[in-house]
Amino acid sequence: MLSRVADNLYWMARFMERAENLARLLQASNELLLDGETTGSRSLNDYWDPVLVATAMEEEFARIYPQGTVADVGYFMTLHEDNPYAITMCLRQARENARTVRDQISDEMWTELNDLYLFITSAKALTEFQNAPQTVYDRIIAGSLLFHGITDATLARTEGWQFIQLGKHLERADKTSRFLDIRVHSAQTGNALDSFQWTSILRSASAIGTYRAEVGGDPTAEGVIDLLMFSTDFPRSVRYCVRKIGTHLHAISGTPTGSYSNSAERIAGRLLAQLNFGSSAEVIERGLQEYTDDLQQVLNTLGQHIFETYVLLPQDQLSVTFIPSADTEKRRWIELQQQQQQQ
Amino acid sequence: MLITNTVLLDQYDTEGLFDEMFEGDGAVRSHYQIMRERLDTISKEELDQKIRNLETLFLKQGITFTVYGDQQGTERVFPFDPIPRIIPADEWQIIEDGLVQRITALNLFLYDIYHEQKILKDRIIPEDVILSAAHYRPEFKDVDVPRDIYIHICGTDLIRDRDGSYLVLEDNGRCPSGVSYVLENRMAMKRVFPHLFTSAGVRSVDSYAADLLGTLQYIAPHAKPDPVCVLLTPGHYNSAYFEHSFLARQMGIEIVEGKDLIVVGAHVYMRTTRGLQQVDVIYRRLDDDFLDPKVFRPDSMLGVPGLVSAVRAGNVALANAIGTGVADDKVTYAYVEKMIKYYLDQDPILKQVPTYLAWDEKDRGYILDHLPELVVKAANESGGYGMLIGPRASKEEIETFRGLITANPRNYIAQPVVYFSRHPTLTDGTVEGRHIDLRPFVLSGERTHILPGGLTRVALKKGSIVVNSSQGGGSKDTWVLHPS
Repeated sequence: MLSRVADNLYWMARFMERAENLARLLQASNELLLDGETTGSRSLNDYWDPVLVATAMEEEFARIYPQGTVADVGYFMTLHEDNPYAITMCLRQARENARTVRDQISDEMWTELNDLYLFITSAKALTEFQNAPQTVYDRIIAGSLLFHGITDATLARTEGWQFIQLGKHLERADKTSRFLDIRVHSAQTGNALDSFQWTSILRSASAIGTYRAEVGGDPTAEGVIDLLMFSTDFPRSVRYCVRKIGTHLHAISGTPTGSYSNSAERIAGRLLAQLNFGSSAEVIERGLQEYTDDLQQVLNTLGQHIFETYVLLPQDQLSVTFIPSADTEKRRWIELQQQQQQQ
Repeated sequence: MLITNTVLLDQYDTEGLFDEMFEGDGAVRSHYQIMRERLDTISKEELDQKIRNLETLFLKQGITFTVYGDQQGTERVFPFDPIPRIIPADEWQIIEDGLVQRITALNLFLYDIYHEQKILKDRIIPEDVILSAAHYRPEFKDVDVPRDIYIHICGTDLIRDRDGSYLVLEDNGRCPSGVSYVLENRMAMKRVFPHLFTSAGVRSVDSYAADLLGTLQYIAPHAKPDPVCVLLTPGHYNSAYFEHSFLARQMGIEIVEGKDLIVVGAHVYMRTTRGLQQVDVIYRRLDDDFLDPKVFRPDSMLGVPGLVSAVRAGNVALANAIGTGVADDKVTYAYVEKMIKYYLDQDPILKQVPTYLAWDEKDRGYILDHLPELVVKAANESGGYGMLIGPRASKEEIETFRGLITANPRNYIAQPVVYFSRHPTLTDGTVEGRHIDLRPFVLSGERTHILPGGLTRVALKKGSIVVNSSQGGGSKDTWVLHPS
């Protein structure tokens, strides 16, 4: 398939997953707030600052909202159009990517994505958000899951489908690791989060039921890390996602698993080995923060290598063909040229 | 959209203009009888519901277009009127014969212009007119194209005069668009009036994509069997992007942007996840100027560097070929009837609108003296831009055009205003006459295929004669009937 199309499908999936995970995070943060016993604003910031830090938006937030409140953060991360990481913007990107490769996805996939986007940008969503933000997050999560279900049921298992799964799992691995380390930012006492906070982390990942069934008792650092980082059968665990990344990379290249044919497969394979033989004890000893930082670095590098293997070709003249998204003026000029009159 | 009359057509007034459905005395034309009967029995609520369903359907499917310069720049549903335009078989036969004749002459003309230029040497058309045409490409003189076909896809606009005769308004031989609306309108109509189709005997439009693909395959270099065809789009910001994507899907070919293609050793390749794949035929929906930054506009971000060298080397075919703009130039239009005579030794089956050419001194004098009565058009604009409609224009607009014509006479033509035919159209609670035109789509491959009907465009504003989508136009389904 066209490299650009593979890239678009991959990013459509990543942005969709990003939107869903942010909704999960914000929803869980909201609930944590309601459960929490402290109501002083300092402690309230402790719940929200990590969210801003994780997306590197604390400065931007402070600029737009010099006297920002908790409500402002929620709005900023969900609906604000000046925040490129807000849920709305992630969905917009997902939709834009889908629109340019419309012929590669099923009509039902497009319709669902479009509906979700029309919802999040509607006046109705704004009102609902102001009254009961949880319903908006519910809708986003449900919409994303529906999108995946539709994809699963309507898209042939072509190369395009493989790239979608690849993007989804890469993003999911990254975001699950962020669920884990986000609360660590706020804890004054390093890794010693209370069980409320561990429960909140499990909730973000829809993992409470599984935890209770497989581990039981009050959530602890070891239990949660074992489940979300190292579980072989929980679909949101980092190890599970990385294994899937390997499967899809090998399906695309046609190489048998256990060997590698390009740098992306090599990096994914090595990461999987680390996760296959890792443990929560090792993570805690290292420091959760440091461990997840390293992990996120590797995932980042992996993304870069996927791009270089399948999208970028050696003959490419970067200045003409691949425009970084930050280069808005160049993009605007291209947009204008595209808008030529047809007869 | 509220319909208040229970019997929709009772109050309809043709206002003395040629009406598609009604004769001058108010009688319904025989081929519309069945439609009239259906409309008389439809309730207001039923029609309202059908229209709502249609609009939702179009929006959900993304059958939209964007209007440039519109403040929101948002996608809009192309307004669709559910009362179809109906053409009986015998009328269509004349149109079809006329269009085949016309496209044959135009392709012969283009071959001639880019080779021996006999028509210029024989002084049938003044040399200056052709060589000064904005879209004449001298770099392509003596370059051969596959099968000697230049215009593979043509959209010729037709209108009906007061006496009901069809006139050619213009040819569009570069990037004609609108066929996707024809196909989508038909699908929508099948949902709105399912029973009418079988009883009326309407010819199908389903074969367009297959015919188009066949045309593309026919022009593959060296008559290569099973050639790789792609559709080249400017990108998703283009107003017709929906159509590009739609046609590519219908034909089962890749849709590409300039950046997906690369020229190596005068061959064109697509960048794929498996490496480079050779491309043989490109259906390009991109203007010549943007095709190749090494030959045409160097600042083009949409083209493929080296594409022209691959075309010249005969390694890739373009549909439509480079340089067809000289044939759909509005000044060249005035000479098409002569082309038919010169190349085919025939009289034109379809007549044209009388045209005055501003570069001719006598014509120019007439034009400048009669501006308030004429329609003035720039030679190479489209979308209804660059036009003056004399009777509707303000004094300032008229003076502006006077200046433009005097400064660059080669670039302007003028025609008498034709109040072309009208058709009952749903408008704000009632049914009124609105001006319509017709754009059939003509494919030239091994044979000439003409889609039965084509796009009927409606000027939705009362009294307006500008039908383009960018200027507030809408469309109707077009039914060509089987011979009874």
